[in-house]
This record gives sequence, C-alpha cells and structure tokens, in this order.
Amino acid sequence: MLSDAELLRYSRHLLLEEVGQSGQEALKKASVLIIGMGGLGSPAALYLASAGIGHIVLSDFDSIEVSNLQRQITYQSDDIGDAKVEVTKRKLQQINPEIKVRSINKSMGAEQLTMELTMADLVLDCTDNMESRQLINKACVDTKTPLIVGAAIRLEGQLMFFDHREENSACYHCLFPDSEEQTLNCSNSGIIGPVVGTIGTLQALETIKHFVGLPSGIKNKLKIFDGKTLDWQTFNINKDANCAVCGKG
Amino acid sequence: MKIQVNEQPLELTDNITIEQLLIHLGKPLIGSAVAVNQSIITRTKWTETIINEGDKISLFQAIAGG
Repeated sequence: MLSDAELLRYSRHLLLEEVGQSGQEALKKASVLIIGMGGLGSPAALYLASAGIGHIVLSDFDSIEVSNLQRQITYQSDDIGDAKVEVTKRKLQQINPEIKVRSINKSMGAEQLTMELTMADLVLDCTDNMESRQLINKACVDTKTPLIVGAAIRLEGQLMFFDHREENSACYHCLFPDSEEQTLNCSNSGIIGPVVGTIGTLQALETIKHFVGLPSGIKNKLKIFDGKTLDWQTFNINKDANCAVCGKG
Repeated sequence: MKIQVNEQPLELTDNITIEQLLIHLGKPLIGSAVAVNQSIITRTKWTETIINEGDKISLFQAIAGG
C-alpha cells in the first residue's frame, strides 16, 4: 500500500497506465544493486531513487576527485575527497526519504558479491573496468540475477540487458570474453558527460520498466549509441553454447 | 566477392572466416566483437563462420568506461 505522501510524490507515475498504483508498489518492493558510482551510476541512482525503487544498494570504493565533476552529476565541488557511496547515499535520501539506501564502500570480491546478489532483484553494472564487469557477469549468471550493463567512452555508449532468470539468456562473456584490461576506459580515452549520462539514464529506464512489468526491447541485444550522429545500432546476441561462463565451456 | 565492413564496401577474393577477415584487416582479436547482418558472432565461432557475398559486417571494440 502507498501512503498519501507517496501517492502525491509519485502522482506522475500513477497517471500512466503503464505504471499505475500496482507498478509503483512493485517499484517500492524492488531491490536494486548499483555497482560503480561514476558517470553511469550517478544518473542511474538519482533516477531510481526519484522513481521510488524501495531498496537501493550502492557499491564503489572511490573517493570523489575534481576530474569526476565534469560528468558525475551527483557530486559537487565541496564533496571532493569524500567517499562516492556516502555522498550518493546522502543525496538519494534527500531526494526521496521514502526509500532505503545502503552503501558498500569497498570493492567486492566474488563471495560478497554473490551474497549481495541473493538480496538483489536486479543489478546495474556501472563499473569502469573489464575485470569488474566479468566478475559481476559471472556472479549474476550463477545467481540467476538480471543484469543491465552500461559502458561509455569518448562519444560512444553501449547498453545490454541479460535476464539471467531466463534459461536461454546470453551473457556479457558470450559477447566480450576477454578479461585482459586492453579495453578503453574514461581515464585513458576521455568521455563527454552527456554520452555516459545517456547510457546511465537508459539503465534506469530499463530498470523501471522491468519492475512495472513492461517488456524490454533490449534483452539479449547490444545497443551502441553514437554521440556524434545520435544514431543507434542494435545487434542480437545469441547465447554461446560454448561460453565459459553461461554455457558448457 | 563484395561485402560491407562498418558500412564501407570491401572486395574479397575468397570465402574467408571471421577470424581471417580480422587478421586481413589488421584488427586486434582481443577486445573485438563482430556482428554479421546485425547478429553477434561469438568468439568461439570465429574460425568456423564463413563470410558470404553481400554480408554486412560490423566490427567494434569492447568498452569498459563508466
């Protein structure tokens, strides 16, 4: 049941037949783990808190640096030096005191990650390195937890949704089997804020759709966003029967 | 044989595999992903997937930034 305060707060959701009261109650019951509180995690967390996701868990081990402020919109100059998860938690509670927010101010190993996933209904991969991405994917496959992956560099973004509750779901490793850190990241290649913000925002949109029961158009698909032309490319990802993580290996 | 790679035309003499195409183009195998006609060809199938006349190949890199 939603309180009067919640009915008022979420009135623009309640006007939508796609959300309505039942959808809002589903958002309230939902538990989402956001890993990485950078350029993707910032808008994702802000939108999900605003939307009324009832339980949000934030994970990151970084402190805020001045170079983060060009794109990580949760933070401001006087937050520099503070832990990202603590500042984000405070901001989310200021935006929406109706929800619960928990912070994990460290890099999670496989064991802790798996334990956290047993309590999460859905995970957002908002990290900035391949090693974490592979670790998160494997833990989501093992625990059958839906995973929405975002990534961005320069003027390009990538977005994927792997619903590991489904038997034939592909996984991140089917698409990108390399764990070596030869991939591009924001510190070595640069990034324009609204490009990474677009992808993080769409991770939040897919999360809201997931919980209110709207079908996702991007399951087992890779969407690539070109910030120069604003064009999107869409690729189908079929589960690799020989995948070392989700297949027979 | 005419194909397209990232929307640019390319003329190939023989039917070659995805892996041979990447080597031919001097692309790194690590960190790359390949789609043929909008469907991802996973890494384990690169040596067995033959490229056909008219195929539209998309090559791109994994990106990890966030």
